[in-house]
Amino acid sequence: MFKVIGGFIAGMLVVAVLGYNFMGSLMFREIPSPFGVEETVARIQQNIQSTGNGWTLSGLRNPGKAVEADGGNTLPVMMIEACSTRYSGPILKDDSVRFLSILMPCKISVYKKNDGATYIGMMNAGLMGRMFGPMVGETMGHVAEDQEKFVQFDASKPAPAMIKATPGGGAGDSGSGAAGGC
Amino acid sequence: MLSGKIVLLSALVNCAMLTMMSAFAAPAQSDAMSAATPLTRQKSASTADHSKFKELNQAFKTGPEVTVACLICHTEAAKQVQHTKHWTWESVDPKTGQKRGKKNIINNYCTSPVSNEKDCMACHAGYGWQDSSFDFTIEKNVDCLVCHDTTATYRKLPGDAGHPIYERREFPPKSGKFVDPADLKKIAQNIGKPSRSNCGSCHFFGAGANGAKHGDLDSSLQHPNKYLDVHMDEKGLNFDCTTCHATSSHEVSGSRYNMAAATKGPAHIRGNPDSSPAACQSCHGNKPHPQHMTKLNQHTAKIACQTCHIPEYARNDIGTELSWDWSQATRMGEDGKPFVRKDSAGRRAFDSKKGEWVWDSYVIPEYRWLNGVSTYTVIGDKIDPGKTVQINEVGGSPDDPDSRIWPTKVHRGKQPYDTVNNTLTVQHTAGEDDTALWHNYDWQKAIRAGMKAANLPYSGNFDFVSTELTWPVTHMVAPKEDALSCAQCHSKNGRLKDIQGVYMPSRDANKLLDTAGWALALLTLIGVLIHAGIRILTSKKAG
Repeated sequence: MFKVIGGFIAGMLVVAVLGYNFMGSLMFREIPSPFGVEETVARIQQNIQSTGNGWTLSGLRNPGKAVEADGGNTLPVMMIEACSTRYSGPILKDDSVRFLSILMPCKISVYKKNDGATYIGMMNAGLMGRMFGPMVGETMGHVAEDQEKFVQFDASKPAPAMIKATPGGGAGDSGSGAAGGC
Repeated sequence: MLSGKIVLLSALVNCAMLTMMSAFAAPAQSDAMSAATPLTRQKSASTADHSKFKELNQAFKTGPEVTVACLICHTEAAKQVQHTKHWTWESVDPKTGQKRGKKNIINNYCTSPVSNEKDCMACHAGYGWQDSSFDFTIEKNVDCLVCHDTTATYRKLPGDAGHPIYERREFPPKSGKFVDPADLKKIAQNIGKPSRSNCGSCHFFGAGANGAKHGDLDSSLQHPNKYLDVHMDEKGLNFDCTTCHATSSHEVSGSRYNMAAATKGPAHIRGNPDSSPAACQSCHGNKPHPQHMTKLNQHTAKIACQTCHIPEYARNDIGTELSWDWSQATRMGEDGKPFVRKDSAGRRAFDSKKGEWVWDSYVIPEYRWLNGVSTYTVIGDKIDPGKTVQINEVGGSPDDPDSRIWPTKVHRGKQPYDTVNNTLTVQHTAGEDDTALWHNYDWQKAIRAGMKAANLPYSGNFDFVSTELTWPVTHMVAPKEDALSCAQCHSKNGRLKDIQGVYMPSRDANKLLDTAGWALALLTLIGVLIHAGIRILTSKKAG
């Protein structure tokens, strides 16, 4: 009996340690970009606008600016914010999962690292959604499918212009109209 | 119970080892380097008010007229300028005797000023250089105002062979924007020491665009903050260019053509004839870190200050040009007409006149050994088109005591060469005549005209060859808090991963030594565990 309980506890511990170590990489993804920061941002923005399904740009933030204002250099980092009311609507209407508004708008981060290369950081919307019931799981599954389209690049097409938006979006600034903010 | 204690002991040992490793991995913090006292920029302390000089109280019509007036008092100034690179556009290597400088080099930006003088000389400290017949001895052709104007209204435009504009003109052509003529009297009466604005009017805009050429020099240095350049910080030390590039008899120190890559010795007082005033060591010495940071001071024997203290260059949205592909020039749009295209950040990306560019910001430098001596591919030199042509072959090696590991910008290009004579070609690009590339989009005519102007043979056959031009990065010095941390170099894929000839802990490894070390650590751990086990067992028996 002691061996069974011991084995069970040991198994639990192993799973907990593995979960703890891999949680980050399961919840978030990092993929290298073949382009520089600005071009990656611009191409993602273009993809968001052409994906359909109600996606609009909500804003473009530069978290590095705040660090610089407070004293210090950071390598470039830009955060693209996008929203689709088709997906946010059902979640925002359901009291039991409305707290997930904290994940809105959808964010994609583009940044440079010390190796000089540009990377794209994204949340694993599909996996995260499955934790909050079937409705959220299905909705976030669609978000994940669209996210994949956001980071598919056609290098043969010329680089579009980056849409510099006021944080939080707003009329005329986000390039997507006032409805851009979730 | 016993096994529980062993597990606990093992965990404690592991924790202790992890803590030790973390402590070693943590970057060293400097607290001993005191903050410099901010200086406020003061009004000119000159003892002469130039607006009171009758020689300058006249309606000047041309730049040379102003120079004539200046030379009445400053009798030797023009002669001094005429000995400098700012006038000759030429530099002679004191070791090899090789003639370099814009006049002799075909770079991989705008290539060569030869045959394009009327445009290029907008950045010459002189008037009237429009072809090879320019007389370098005429003193009135020295342009005093381009360096000494304090009004920021003195402008020289392409096409005027170095003269300022004398009549209101639309510039750029067909842009709807107009530039007013310079008020030469007002400018002459308000001259002063060169400011960032004077130097920057050319050096920030080299290669025809803001920040394009150097990467560590662009218009953001007009009003920099501390994080862009700790020395030029407008609210702090507020250095001008000439604070470091100390000048004597109009000779500006600190040229990349004759640079000191490894200045030795302590800080010194300016005026020491052996010193290199533009070098960091000139003020900081070669042991700049506090005494308790001996290891960092030891690094100065192999590492240039800039390597750690300029972690990235072009640290702004302006960015810098990383490549220029001339082979794409003359490509027309779908409608058969010339076109221009900008990149995602709004910088020039393509122009049918000039080709294709790639830009980036916050660029991680490429590191290499540098002893300050570069051998240039000059006009007429034979090249090997099968290889990437080095416009400048950077000297330096780990065995050379004058070499240090430097951060560099490497600008890559594709530019035309004569496929029979195997020489880089000079091309006539600027101008409105029928042979100018930017007018007729005909490479053959442009190269033929350029080579003729340069007195070089041309076979009539050309193609494009890959080239590289290397620049040491030395501006945009970050605050000490933003300097590279140890691990950024001391790691397998760190910043210096490609540097050869020096042993770097954490980057380089000896398999035998590593195995022996780990074996020792393992044996120690086993010994500790056995010892602990025996102690536990004996205590139980005793109890």
